[in-house]
Amino acid sequence: MEDNAYQDNVHTAGAAPVGTAPTAMTTGSGNGSPAAHAVDLCKTYGTGQAAVHALDGINVVFEQSRFTAVMGPSGSGKSTLMHCMAGLDNPTSGRSFIGGIEVGDLNDAGLTRLRRDRVGFIFQAFNLVPTLTAAENITLPLDLAGKKADKGWFDHLVGRLGIADRLAGKPSELSGGQQQRVACARALISRPELVFADEPTGNLDSMAAGEILSFLRMSVDELGQSIVMVTHDPRGAAYSDRVVFLGDGKVVGEMEQPTADSVLERIRTLAG
Amino acid sequence: MWRITLKSLLAHKLRLALTAIAIVLGVTFVSGTYILTDTIHNTFTSLFSTVYQGFNFQVRGVAQFSNAGTAVRNPIPESILPEIQKVPGVEDAAGSVVGYAQFVSHGGKAIANNGAPTIGASLHSKTLSYLHIVEGRAPTTSHGVVMDAGTAKKYHFKVGQQVRVLLLGPPRTFTITGIARFGDTANLAGATMAAFDTPTAQKVLGEVGKFNAIYVKTAPGASNAAVQRDIARILPRGVDVVTRQVVVNEAISSINQPLSFLSTTLLIFAFIALFVGAFTILNTFSVVVGQRTRELALLRIVGASRRQVFRSVLGEAAILGLVSSLVGLGLGVLTAMGIEALLRGFGISMPSGSPVLAARTIIVALVLGVGVTILAAVSPARRAVRIPPVAAISDSHVADVSLRRRFTWGTSIAIAGVAVLGIGLSNHTIQLVGLGALGVFIGVAMLLPAVASPLSSAIGRPLARTLGTAGRLGRANSMRSPRRTAQTASALMIGLAVVSAFAVIGASISKSVTSVADNAVNADLIVYDKVSSPMSPGFSTTVPKVVAALPGVTMTDTIYGNTPMSGQFKFRHSLGTLTAVSARHLAGTVRLHMTAGDSRALASGAMLIDATVAKSNHLSVGDTVPVRFALTGRSTVRIGGVYKLNPIVGSYLVSDSYYLSHFQNPLPSAVLLRTSGGSSVEGEVQQALAPYPNVQVQNRAQLEHSQLAQIDKLLGLVYALLGLAVIIALIGIVNTLVLSVFERTREIGLLRAVGMKRRQVRMMIRAESVILSIFGAVVGIIIGTGLGVALASSLGSAGITAISVPVSSMVVFLILSAVLGLLAATWPARRAAKLDVLAAIAEE
Repeated sequence: MEDNAYQDNVHTAGAAPVGTAPTAMTTGSGNGSPAAHAVDLCKTYGTGQAAVHALDGINVVFEQSRFTAVMGPSGSGKSTLMHCMAGLDNPTSGRSFIGGIEVGDLNDAGLTRLRRDRVGFIFQAFNLVPTLTAAENITLPLDLAGKKADKGWFDHLVGRLGIADRLAGKPSELSGGQQQRVACARALISRPELVFADEPTGNLDSMAAGEILSFLRMSVDELGQSIVMVTHDPRGAAYSDRVVFLGDGKVVGEMEQPTADSVLERIRTLAG
Repeated sequence: MWRITLKSLLAHKLRLALTAIAIVLGVTFVSGTYILTDTIHNTFTSLFSTVYQGFNFQVRGVAQFSNAGTAVRNPIPESILPEIQKVPGVEDAAGSVVGYAQFVSHGGKAIANNGAPTIGASLHSKTLSYLHIVEGRAPTTSHGVVMDAGTAKKYHFKVGQQVRVLLLGPPRTFTITGIARFGDTANLAGATMAAFDTPTAQKVLGEVGKFNAIYVKTAPGASNAAVQRDIARILPRGVDVVTRQVVVNEAISSINQPLSFLSTTLLIFAFIALFVGAFTILNTFSVVVGQRTRELALLRIVGASRRQVFRSVLGEAAILGLVSSLVGLGLGVLTAMGIEALLRGFGISMPSGSPVLAARTIIVALVLGVGVTILAAVSPARRAVRIPPVAAISDSHVADVSLRRRFTWGTSIAIAGVAVLGIGLSNHTIQLVGLGALGVFIGVAMLLPAVASPLSSAIGRPLARTLGTAGRLGRANSMRSPRRTAQTASALMIGLAVVSAFAVIGASISKSVTSVADNAVNADLIVYDKVSSPMSPGFSTTVPKVVAALPGVTMTDTIYGNTPMSGQFKFRHSLGTLTAVSARHLAGTVRLHMTAGDSRALASGAMLIDATVAKSNHLSVGDTVPVRFALTGRSTVRIGGVYKLNPIVGSYLVSDSYYLSHFQNPLPSAVLLRTSGGSSVEGEVQQALAPYPNVQVQNRAQLEHSQLAQIDKLLGLVYALLGLAVIIALIGIVNTLVLSVFERTREIGLLRAVGMKRRQVRMMIRAESVILSIFGAVVGIIIGTGLGVALASSLGSAGITAISVPVSSMVVFLILSAVLGLLAATWPARRAAKLDVLAAIAEE
């Protein structure tokens, strides 16, 4: 239902700082410009004595074509960091960037386009639209933008995720693992620069969780996708290239090439 | 996005259906009104075209003055007829007399079909007559009459039988020589017709030597224009020749006024229903948006713009509105027939015909239905837009527009409404009154959340005390979302406000009638025309003589005029209805409360006027006013006094001698009697008047009672029409409760898990519903009472002189609301009680 004028609008407004930046998958890894980064990011709830500093001056960089896990105990600010960086929530102070775009500069329309065209989301609770079929849920971001889905890319995604035969089903007819795979396809369908995954395996059994994590790993390796995943599962973190540890709204540590054991070990150290 | 809109609609068919009912009913009412009046209009139009055929020209007296499409014309001398017959090109010409004649049934009752005219007419040459004799033949003597087929069938009359006919003079008995149809229909909208041969008609209808009209048919090949010109040339002053088309158009336009009155009245109630429906829709959409918060937020996360969300909600409303309007339109056709039946039940007769669905009806129905739905969805859509994307993943609440801002707006709108209402009331501008009331309702509805919690708490206290936990929870549920409680109750509030306002007006009219009737007459008995037929010019002049001769009757005063068919004259620039009494007996029979001048001025040929006329015309005693009569033309009259409103004598009062000099052969419309007392005299009067079934004898108490009965009947009709609005409001409550039950599935499951019985669940939902209903009813009755008092006090000039608040009716409304609330909860309560405990808790 969207006309062309609206689409033109999408590309000319909001994305000004980087112009028509090449998408992440065509960019080689490690070429300098990060997929997202935050500078002195603060988020405070409440005021005065009752103030809670969910984010307390966070500086973090998420590189392109890498799989970064964000870990930390409950209340460490993992989800708040993700919300603020994705433009879902407003930080109290500091700046955050997706690609070269400063999220704080965008108005609601700009944020909407940012989410629609440059960012993909995967949630713990799947969050599919219950009235739409699996296929319709996958193409939803494109439908909203008034774009046609790239048939080859769509088939590739559903093929890789093994849900080609479940596309006509409603979310309520799918298993949890299947629903999350649909959510993965939806996150990737618009070829975003960055995918935010918030505890994507939190509601899944270990088998289904493994499948989702393998897919995410594969998309980084084969497609050059940039992924930020919030998790508290060391085994999930082991799929990542790098782990950022948070505690009390601050970055308290990092680890490259983690394994489940090394992550567990680090958590113990931090907690101790 | 359209796909989501559509899917969302289809995924909630139940919700869809419930919401749709509110619009369907409103649109049904609107379209039904149009279809009904269009159908009636169409029926009459084709009826008139059928009836008025066979002639080319009508010759008649020019209109002296006209009112509501009915012109007052003088009859024309019959000597014109032979002159016209001699005009070249005239093939046939016949004189026609029309007047009052009313059949008496076998059982001795005056026949009249729900206020339709009872016509007496002359039968003339076959080619020119609209009466087609289908049985028997035309009368050849002055004792024969032709009866219309409708009356013959309904009252079982046959050719050859005797029938009594009420006439200007004494009633007479005729032999039925034939049965006739109007054109090709048996029934002219309930009108009855007694047709006589021309000389008899002239005699019994009071037009000896005269015609009301002459019908002219031109010869084949003759130039119509030339014939019309030639006829016009020979006509005396004050007589006119017009074409058939003019006659047909006049007849059609004469029904337009009562029809437009009917449609306006019905549309007012239809709009009230739609207005209440709008609140129901607003409420449903608000709840639905609330329940879809996560889904809408999710759409925002994956890239839906605010505009897309806004349009999605409005789109849902538009589709809902469109579908409902179409259904409503279809039901409107059925309802048109239903309303017709309803009106007939209340004594207003309509001719029947196949329903007419005009393009205008379809357009208005669709525009209104879709428009109202979309308008009602705007506020919920704006709420939907404010849902932050993050609401999809965390339980953040939608920031509401601050209550303070809402209250500021609500107060402003309510005050503006009161102001507009005040202006409308003082200027008697009904549109402004309506607009003002609308403002008050919207304003109060916006303010309602402020009082929702404390009021629900107060109303629910007895329930909480008597019903235990279930009652306490029901009360708590009604208090926990003041906004939703207020929104749900506001539809019922408006419905009951309108009902209460009418109740106050009705009670005030009743009280005024009682006090006026008590103060209007000194007479012990009142003999008056039943006015069963609008054609009735009064009753026979022999009636006063008959009663005056009775031994127990000590004084009689004959009243002329003051009916729809008598006393018409022009007072300055407006049409009025004149009343006449005998100046000699005035003091003994009528109670006139003079505010200026003296009632004895009547004897000297002066006119008395009521205070309202004096005020609006800025007249005082001694002024001379121009008047005009159909028969005698222009004149002037002196104002001899001013009196307080009196229903027996109307607004303009003169002496009987004055009246008799300006009206030809006037008939009495009432006779006021003083008696030597006792019910035996009343019996004697009844007995003496038995041959006159069109007159009624009542003592003062009966007169009062019969007038009150009429008001009650009218009020009953109004309540029936308002019933729809109340039903729509109740559907709103059902809707909200069902949605609430759905929303609280987990909570109800939990309550069941910890030991609440199904019965208690049902009780809890019912308690909430009753609290909601009483809340809406209380506020509605308070506002409606205020509105009714304001309306009634501004109608002083229209005869409402006393204000009365019918407390007992209000209590009944309140109890009825509670019962209806209980009823509304039946289904939601059952649904809640049926919830499976495990599934309810497990549900995400």
